[in-house]
Amino acid sequence: MKDKNPLSPHIQIYNWHISSLISISHRIIGIINIIIVTLICFWVALLILGSSNYQLVQNFFETYIGKFFIVGTVWSFSFQALCEIRHLFWDLGYGFELKTSNITGLVVIFGSFILTILILGKNIIL
Amino acid sequence: MVQINLPQNSKIQKGKYYKDKSGSKNIRKVNIYRWDPSTGENPRIDTYEVDMDNCPSKVLDLLNKIKNEIDSTIAYRRSCAHGVCGSCAMNMDGKNGLACTKPHNEIKGDINIYPLPHLKVQKDLIGDLSTLYKQYASVEPWLKNSKNDDSKENFQSVKDRSKLDGLYECIMCACCSTACPSYWWNGDKYLGPAVLLQAYRWIIDSRDEERKERLKKVADELKLYRCHTIMNCTNACPKGLNPAKAIASIKKMLATS
Repeated sequence: MKDKNPLSPHIQIYNWHISSLISISHRIIGIINIIIVTLICFWVALLILGSSNYQLVQNFFETYIGKFFIVGTVWSFSFQALCEIRHLFWDLGYGFELKTSNITGLVVIFGSFILTILILGKNIIL
Repeated sequence: MVQINLPQNSKIQKGKYYKDKSGSKNIRKVNIYRWDPSTGENPRIDTYEVDMDNCPSKVLDLLNKIKNEIDSTIAYRRSCAHGVCGSCAMNMDGKNGLACTKPHNEIKGDINIYPLPHLKVQKDLIGDLSTLYKQYASVEPWLKNSKNDDSKENFQSVKDRSKLDGLYECIMCACCSTACPSYWWNGDKYLGPAVLLQAYRWIIDSRDEERKERLKKVADELKLYRCHTIMNCTNACPKGLNPAKAIASIKKMLATS
């Protein structure tokens, strides 16, 4: 096709659905989780270097940003885990009906928050 | 490549405003994407005020009314007006569908009408689907049977025939493929939901003898596995079919065979 023909608008005009929103968040959170895992590796490496370094990280976790980091980490891992379980069912050929996929989508969103609260328990309100 | 922004020549400008002349009290604003290949200008959005008291129920009726009564220069494809031919596929209210089966009273606020997303526009609401048709031809959508004997009926059991339900109904309107972000970014290589659904329709046909070859042909990192189960295809299909499931079935067949 000649170059002078314009491209019709796509992502600018297309409505978001639950399934497409979860799909893109799944990808973004996947990348974030890789970064988090790398940071955890550094944290473990710091332990080998001695207790003063351990205290450094410990102090960070005492701050509000540190606490947000912990809650955020648990949430993003929960979200990813639930998404992957949903994908496993898809790979087996189940859950493709529109209604089912919308319900499982909502389960992933709300489930990730519930799972975060369950994992952290009382520690979440520190 | 993922390109979020539109190219420079595709940026949409503000267009003309057609005020209602009928004096009706029941007015709706309709925003329509316009591009005229004869001028060198960028695409624009024209706004029409339409008298809804004298307009039948579907979006296609609305377009016909505008073309007949307000602005005859507007171009769009249409033919059967009964959801069978798939000509009037377009993007209405942010979702792909057939203008002839979409009631305009389901749309809240102003009615926004665009061509199918991420296609080269030929004029106004007409997009260029030639890449999709080439891809469709590449899956060889016809029966391959060496025992092709015209004198005898080619039997298929009720059970085998039922496997084609939800596949043969596809009218190739391209609503699903042009709703798919993977197809937007990789449309030259990824086959897209419409073509993959058709591919599956021939893979699963009990009378076809080339299942293995067909599967082998489609089993490609880009042709098939660019599907990330975004499900926009199934959300868009005006015939209520499930291309996402068909693609998953191909993947499953490849994984288990």
